[in-house]
Amino acid sequence: MHLIIGGAYQGKLDHARKALGVKEDEIYSCTEDGGIDFSFRCVNAVEEFVLGCVRRGDDAAEIFKAHRSEWEDSVLICRDIFCGVVPMGAEMRAWREATGRLCAFLASEAETVTRMFCGIDERLK
Amino acid sequence: MNVFISGGCKNGKTGFAQDIAVRLSGGGKRFYVATMIPYDGEDRERVRRHISDREGMGFGTLETARDIATCLDSGGGDATYLIDSVTALLLNEMFPGNYSEQADPGAATRCIEGLLKVARGCRNAVFVSDYIYSDAERYDDFTESYRRMLASIDRALAMECDTVIELCAGLPICRKGVMPI
Repeated sequence: MHLIIGGAYQGKLDHARKALGVKEDEIYSCTEDGGIDFSFRCVNAVEEFVLGCVRRGDDAAEIFKAHRSEWEDSVLICRDIFCGVVPMGAEMRAWREATGRLCAFLASEAETVTRMFCGIDERLK
Repeated sequence: MNVFISGGCKNGKTGFAQDIAVRLSGGGKRFYVATMIPYDGEDRERVRRHISDREGMGFGTLETARDIATCLDSGGGDATYLIDSVTALLLNEMFPGNYSEQADPGAATRCIEGLLKVARGCRNAVFVSDYIYSDAERYDDFTESYRRMLASIDRALAMECDTVIELCAGLPICRKGVMPI
């Protein structure tokens, strides 16, 4: 699995397309009120799936662990939402924490981890 | 040579960019291009601090809040320009009239065109922006579109520039190219 992280609009999806050859019809973009579909080669906006989990009371990391075999060869993209002030709202705090935990787990499982900064990729692993 | 500098707010990007601009210009002409329009006492205090910080560094000051490439008309092509900041320039371009009007959706494209003209039309250019993309918050549509537009400008400049530096606690992390010596 390849994990791409980075702040909003930093070129994560573009990197998946260019460096990993991901095609448009291979991309599934999560939304806060949707589920997740591991049958796609590239799962984008994992942080949005996590927000939905927080709202439903689900544990996003457990869901990922339960489906490990389905994303073992995937490209996962998650936005870095960890560098701001601790959010005032409890939901945003829970979101940040759950996304952080999931990211750390995914990074430990990943074959490669790449961080995007202003369109420039940096290999972290 | 062109250098793009970004990073978190209030961590010394302007001071660092000034040093880079002085180094790049050698003994040549150099201009500090101020894009922020001061609106209140806090802004004016910041401008005063910036002016006194660059005293004795040999910068001419050009105030160019919009249509950024016009700074070249004042300073000429054979000079080094420090554009501070892309962040303020975008805000000004989004609101050509006043802030009560609708934001102009063409602002980012205009900024990119103007900034690339600067990058390609002078000896050296140093651009300063702000990295505002890694927090856990749901923003209103206006703020979100501002972030999206600023990121598109940042990425265009990062692609154009020879060197890209992320500044963290006043310390440089070189993301592309080499640090100018």
